[in-house]
Amino acid sequence: MQTDRRRLNAPPGGTTPPVFAAPPDTKLHRPTRTRKPDEHRKLFLRTGIVPSASGSAYYEIPPQEPQPTALLVPQRSSLKITCTVHGPRPLPRNAAFSPNLLLSAHVKFAPFATQNRRGYVRDASERDLGAHLETALRGVVIGERFPKSGCEVVLTILEGEEDGWGAGGAEIKGGGGGIMTVLAGCITAASAALVDAGIDCVDLISGGVAAVKDAGKHGGQEDAVVVLDPAPSEHDGEITAACVVGYLQSRDEVTEMWMKGDAGAQVQTLIDEAVKAASLVRAVLAEAVKDGVQAKIDEAEDDAAMTGSAKEGKGKSKEVVMTG
Amino acid sequence: MSSNAIALPGQDLGGEPSNTVGAGTHIYGDHLFASIAGPVHTTTPNPPSKTPSIVSITRPTAALLLPEVGTTVLGRVTRTNARQANFAILALGSTGDVVLAEPLPAIIRQQDIRLTEIDKVTVAGSFRVGDVVRAVVISLGDERAYFASTARDELGVVMAVSEGGNRMVPISWREFEEVGGRGRKRRGRSLRLFECARVKAIQQC
Repeated sequence: MQTDRRRLNAPPGGTTPPVFAAPPDTKLHRPTRTRKPDEHRKLFLRTGIVPSASGSAYYEIPPQEPQPTALLVPQRSSLKITCTVHGPRPLPRNAAFSPNLLLSAHVKFAPFATQNRRGYVRDASERDLGAHLETALRGVVIGERFPKSGCEVVLTILEGEEDGWGAGGAEIKGGGGGIMTVLAGCITAASAALVDAGIDCVDLISGGVAAVKDAGKHGGQEDAVVVLDPAPSEHDGEITAACVVGYLQSRDEVTEMWMKGDAGAQVQTLIDEAVKAASLVRAVLAEAVKDGVQAKIDEAEDDAAMTGSAKEGKGKSKEVVMTG
Repeated sequence: MSSNAIALPGQDLGGEPSNTVGAGTHIYGDHLFASIAGPVHTTTPNPPSKTPSIVSITRPTAALLLPEVGTTVLGRVTRTNARQANFAILALGSTGDVVLAEPLPAIIRQQDIRLTEIDKVTVAGSFRVGDVVRAVVISLGDERAYFASTARDELGVVMAVSEGGNRMVPISWREFEEVGGRGRKRRGRSLRLFECARVKAIQQC
């Protein structure tokens, strides 16, 4: 990673918070998946949270069950993403003429978002996320209605899901699946923010993620189960393949797909499950967008009513006589 | 106020032959779909069923995000030279209904300042830096600026400030007079209308 020379940085190697040893008589229970393989976790999504931006959205997957208080480290991680859209705005002076909208997507983990502290400068995984997100959004935005303009989509991940479960000093087995749920959340949040900004889109795009879970003890590919919306803390070390899709439901099209790992014979099932996850997310997305639009309409009506009554109160201004 | 149903992007709005595309919609296959989220408006023409009805969606906050050809805009002159006047578009709409988040650069060429005797018009005699003008966009222009024109009765300088800092009001189609000052007149391409335009948003800039 490049050194960040513009700031006073924390010591290299991360500044992890202290790992507390568990009291000797408590048993550490790894969180396990209690929902069905085709059930998605509950989401929270709201638009219009940043008044100074053209459009904005906040997306959260809260912990689904209350935390047991014996441990200080959270049992279940959550995902919190905030997205702002700035545009359409004029291109810089020296930019070439562009008949279409120039979309740029930036993703950044906040330094406090993960257990290992991240730097202030974007690193390779964040740039990778941004590239995948831009691919997903490029298939949705109708660019030719905004010539000579640019649009910037900025996402900040306030709390990102860990790759595993590390409470009480337990070893994180990893597998790299956490970044996929983050991308799925980013796609959904960016879609809500774009619609909030009033930028013409072909459809609402939603992000869905699915994974192939190793059955473990039995071995063999036939025993592998495909699950929707894998929470990395619940499936630590069990995931052999994962897939994120950006899906347009009304056109039944996929604009972005990212697959990791070896799914073997279950590739098609994996993609289908990811599409199913995206369809479930779309229901929440549609409702959040509708609520946001309704709130804007109500606000516009209130403003119109207020200015109407103010106009009647003012007296007539002095008339100017024209001589020409 | 409006009880129109709210459509979301990707929502089917009807079949093609009986409906035509309006603002905020697009065609896919032979159906109309929504492009933005907002209330749907259907304008049905006179009963002859041969002309299709226009389905459009209005944005809840602003009708337009960018000026199109034919949009009336309000802006402030930033620079003049012998051939053109540069101005920054600050709001869309003839009364500045939609204030832009960022000003857009635009140009009024010498031949677009007025309709008649266009070879005798001087840019310096029509505009001064700081004047607020109402113009209509005639072209998207190049990568630097939109092209605009004030060659119509209702277009031209709307607000001006004298050298002494006093407000000036139009007294004829080509002259402004200082209010409350020494009555110094200044030539400027002004409105032909007798009422002064109400410009609510520009006064805050």
